[in-house]
Amino acid sequence: MPRGRIGRKGRDVSESPLRAVPTMAPPEAAPDAAELLQRTARGDEAAFAALYDELAGSVLGLARRVIRDPARAEEVAQEVFLQVWQTAVRFDPARGSAKSWILTLAHRRAVDAVRHDQAATNRDMAYDWSPGVDHDEVSETVTVRLEHEQVRRCLSSLTDLQREAITLAYYQGYTYAEVATVLDANPATVKTRMRDGLIRLRDCLGVEA
Amino acid sequence: MTIDLHSLMAPYALDALDADERATYEVHLEQCDDCRSELAGFLETSSRLGELEEVAPPPAMRAEVLAAARRTAQQRPVTVLAPRRLRHRVPQLVAAAAVALALAGGTATVVEHQRASDLQASGDKMTSVLTASDVRTSSEKATEGGTLRVMSSKSHDAAVVVGSALPQLDDDQVYQVWAMHDGTPRPAGLIGAKPGMVYVSKVAGADAFAVTVEPKGGSERPTTDPLAVTPVTA
Repeated sequence: MPRGRIGRKGRDVSESPLRAVPTMAPPEAAPDAAELLQRTARGDEAAFAALYDELAGSVLGLARRVIRDPARAEEVAQEVFLQVWQTAVRFDPARGSAKSWILTLAHRRAVDAVRHDQAATNRDMAYDWSPGVDHDEVSETVTVRLEHEQVRRCLSSLTDLQREAITLAYYQGYTYAEVATVLDANPATVKTRMRDGLIRLRDCLGVEA
Repeated sequence: MTIDLHSLMAPYALDALDADERATYEVHLEQCDDCRSELAGFLETSSRLGELEEVAPPPAMRAEVLAAARRTAQQRPVTVLAPRRLRHRVPQLVAAAAVALALAGGTATVVEHQRASDLQASGDKMTSVLTASDVRTSSEKATEGGTLRVMSSKSHDAAVVVGSALPQLDDDQVYQVWAMHDGTPRPAGLIGAKPGMVYVSKVAGADAFAVTVEPKGGSERPTTDPLAVTPVTA
């Protein structure tokens, strides 16, 4: 998996004329996220700062995508990094990349924040949650905003129901039961479509399981 | 009717489970090696959906995050990782289970991982509780960190009590679970620090479960204040 690829957008070393300059450090020399995270687990504040520099943009981007409210998203992104600092010792490189580990933490926190805020709003307004969303429109909006070519291509290889089930859950923070309501589908079917879709995405993206 | 736990993996990887199902699935995960390896691929995949957009964080955020880290203690390492831990602890658990059974005196039957061959049987019993259609979940944060979670089923007259991320203990200490009957604690098994879980049968009448730190082997009555008392959800 090309770690840090987004962060290095626009300065692809292989195409840069600077490649010939001998004093330039090769990209492999920079510690990767996994190493930074393992050093963070040992209390290395500089490694933690470097990890922040590498991934804060992605974490905040994800929090924004799910939460939408920029101020709340910043709050959640800060909590995520504090959680990374506190629990770095639990990271196991054998079970996945450091970036995935951190984005998984970030996604869960963002989803929990959205659900918590939504529940509070519902209580305040004595207002029942109802779909009220045109699912085609939601799916469209999410799809066109995707920037990453490979992920977009892989998402388009899914069936409509697989794609909608996955994007509504991942980007809107819906539970599969809520997805089933919005899509007017059976919850068991939604779970199956999520599974089939994730398997297809995983294979398409070449993720090594 | 039971929930098919395997069907929860994809929704879990997408954070599309509600809190109860998530807790139930996480307990299942602790016992299912195959699930953990398949889940790793699912999580790696779902997180790719999350790295599509970057937003430049406000400059002040960096300083705030680093300052917050500087004044926050980090979690300490667990000396042996979860799945392996169980096997390493087997001899200790045999002794612990024997003591716990003797102390239980018939008030609560304690099933511990006594031998490797019993692991599966115990796992099956836990799974039967976790997948029961009437399973109820409750949890309480422990005073020194971690959580005590109770999953109980009336129809099975049994519960699975899970201590997650409880602080590491000294070698001569254990966590002991107590079934609380109207304020009276009855021994309900010993658990490791993380992940520690115990299957408890004959739980009718227990209104809560508590966890205390006890000397190795367990105690007949709690000798320390409970770190957490988790009520059983009716």
